[in-house]
Amino acid sequence: MHDRQIPARLPVPPAARGILPMTRRGVMAGLAGLAACRSTYAWAQTPVGLQLSWLHSVQFAGSYLALQNGWWRDAGLEVSLLQGGPNAPVEPPVVAGNALVGISAADYAAAAVAQGAPFRIIGVAMQKNPFVIASLPGNPIDAPADLPGKRIGMAVANTPVLQALCRLNDVDFGAVQIVPTQYSAQPLLAGEVDGLLCWETDLPVAMAVQGIAARTMLMADHGYALQSQTYVATDDSLANRRRELVALMAGEVRGWNAYRSDTDAAADLTVAMFPDAGLDKAVQRLQAERQVPLMFSPLTDAHGFGWWTDEGVQDNIRTLSLLGRTVTPDLWDRSILDEVHAG
Amino acid sequence: MTALARRAGSPVLLLALWQLAAAATAGQFLLAGPVAVGGWLADNPGLVGRALSASLANAAWGFLAGNLAAILIATVAMLWPRALNLLSGLALVVFCLPLVATGPILRVTMGPGNGPQIVLAALAVFYTTLIPLLAGLRAAPSVWFDLVASYGRGRLAALIHVRARASLPYLLAGLQIAAPAAFLGAMVGEFTGAERGLGVLTIRFTRDLNVPALWAVASVAAAVSIAAYGGIGALGRRFLLERPPVILAPPRLSRGSLAGRLQGCVLLAGVTLALWWGGIELFGLNPFFAKRPPDLLAALTRAPDAAATRQALLGAAGQTAALVLPGYLAGLALGAGLAVTLSLAPRLSGLVTPLAVALRSVPIVTTAPLVVLMLGRGAAGTIALVALMVFFPTFVACQHGLRQAPGQILDILRGYGAGGLAQLIHVRIPAMLPAFFAAARMGVPAAILAVTVAEWLATGRGLGNLMTLSASLSDYTMLWLTVVLVTGASVLGHGGIAWIERRVLRLYAPEQVDP
Repeated sequence: MHDRQIPARLPVPPAARGILPMTRRGVMAGLAGLAACRSTYAWAQTPVGLQLSWLHSVQFAGSYLALQNGWWRDAGLEVSLLQGGPNAPVEPPVVAGNALVGISAADYAAAAVAQGAPFRIIGVAMQKNPFVIASLPGNPIDAPADLPGKRIGMAVANTPVLQALCRLNDVDFGAVQIVPTQYSAQPLLAGEVDGLLCWETDLPVAMAVQGIAARTMLMADHGYALQSQTYVATDDSLANRRRELVALMAGEVRGWNAYRSDTDAAADLTVAMFPDAGLDKAVQRLQAERQVPLMFSPLTDAHGFGWWTDEGVQDNIRTLSLLGRTVTPDLWDRSILDEVHAG
Repeated sequence: MTALARRAGSPVLLLALWQLAAAATAGQFLLAGPVAVGGWLADNPGLVGRALSASLANAAWGFLAGNLAAILIATVAMLWPRALNLLSGLALVVFCLPLVATGPILRVTMGPGNGPQIVLAALAVFYTTLIPLLAGLRAAPSVWFDLVASYGRGRLAALIHVRARASLPYLLAGLQIAAPAAFLGAMVGEFTGAERGLGVLTIRFTRDLNVPALWAVASVAAAVSIAAYGGIGALGRRFLLERPPVILAPPRLSRGSLAGRLQGCVLLAGVTLALWWGGIELFGLNPFFAKRPPDLLAALTRAPDAAATRQALLGAAGQTAALVLPGYLAGLALGAGLAVTLSLAPRLSGLVTPLAVALRSVPIVTTAPLVVLMLGRGAAGTIALVALMVFFPTFVACQHGLRQAPGQILDILRGYGAGGLAQLIHVRIPAMLPAFFAAARMGVPAAILAVTVAEWLATGRGLGNLMTLSASLSDYTMLWLTVVLVTGASVLGHGGIAWIERRVLRLYAPEQVDP
């Protein structure tokens, strides 16, 4: 704060510096001064970015509720929800500071940390990992023991996920046939594969709305403990922007609690807020309903939304090691949630 | 059949074929026919209209910016021929940068909004305009240049009075190819986190298994591309009424020595490295995702896992090369072959040309599952997708090239009673060669782009998969390494084609060999 405000009041005479660095620093000082003025003027409204991990949908409905009800505005935050997409980066905007918080998953956060991103997980939206093996009732896959001999369609990048599931359940991974497919239910319905590795909340929902009751085997029910939709922030933000982090997460907690009390209303709000996103109300309502058991549990009932325990961290570290990631409990930082739930 | 019935007949036939194909694949959630598509469009006019206007605006700005940049570069290159190799080399390097890597980087540097969509649309068109334009600027008889010189005028006068006019048919060919490319570029740009547009709807409807909606979006995208393609073509027919001139240039020995060319390569590499490194420093990009040349060198040599890195990179490159080469050659053969066939049987053109434009304009994300169904998930599907991407620019360029056959020479052949085939072999095909080679050179980056996209979306192998995997695991060093490898391979492939081109054109179109 100190070094930011000084140039605004005492502009350094340009002539006092060398020619090239002078102009550049002069501009930077001017910009910093402007930024300082703006934040003084709008003291009650600090702009922050929240980087979402996918296109707008009910997957982030808690955030829309917080925005719509002004819960962030009342806490002095002007939150921009930055949409994700198939080729949209989640980690770089958080590292670069364009977004204060990003929505990642424990495995992607661990990978980013291994590459030098100074990340901590400060909240967990999906307590249970949403990965399932989806199959059709005529040829069901209800347990890991059903996997050998089956053709499983997936993005090749997700091979380690299935490998980890097989290791956790003593299933011969070599007996499972992996078919690289696009992320769509179409190969399953066309009979090209017997099962799909996908999320509980997307392709099975799409099939259900089309009148096809797919079977799903939730990997989290078979030992695959890996938090998803985790909130990540940098060490620097945790040290210097705590007020904003607490306010942002408090809005998230309040938004998701409101979501839980009426998922249909949350889905309808999502569809109304993004009329250009091509959202289907039936799909959104069913997705909203199916998300609830993944996000809320007796643990969150007792401690509040976004919570995790030390045992949960140990389970995640074990799954991550099966995925080839070595992490320590330091990856998780609960101090922001502690403040949110204390206040 | 009356002329009117013939003109209306081919679209009706196409629609009927489409409806039949949809009926044949019913229940597979693969293809929706024109009836279902029309019904969905009638129910959702607002949604499609808003998405279309968003994508169209971005594509139009990108089209404008990209083509202006191409014209500017070509102008500079003609006024200052020494800069030609460096400028076209740099343009090639920029064009070869893979979308999978540039998209996220543009999004991080430009923030939310339309920036990345416009830039990607511009990047998709500027090179495909530049190459035909450079060929066109040289496509004038040498006597015209002699005339300019005899009046004591210089390069600027030659550019204004001779080259600019000579280049118009070629520029038009470039703009025609550019129109669908700009639209596709804008849609792919939307994958980086845009709020609205047809690309956003494509992703949504693919996941929601909403097949009529998905094909409605694809049909709208294709219709817009066909309209832009046809509109630019009509402009050409309206205003380019001159018959192409006879170009006779004395065969010249190439002035470029081996040492000179090596020097050019070193200069290009040096300037590229300087721009890359300097750009990162200038914009202050974060080292987490913006890797500098020494970072990559260290990852390949000094890092503890350098051997594994090299192995992963070369393994993926091998897989990709095995698919891209056959696809590229098949695309060239198909494009040139079809253009030649249609010049012999012009009546087929009304049926085939819209189909060719539609195939190229329907977003690859929508067509990939269809191609996979027909050809399987093995090599054939990917090769077909690559061939499809290379085929269209080659086809358009060759059609324009065939039309560049000098009228007087055709008159002589006709005077001797030579048939269509003899005219084709002796006049039209030689006249087509400069355009064909221009397309072959443009096809190199297009083929590599296509193969990486197919690997990303469908097969999960090779460099395309390595790029997406590296991006999702934050392994930006590997991502930049793939970018350097892909770009280097494209430039080398381009150089190889240029080598063959010089040898062939020295015989058939010497005016093209030296600037």
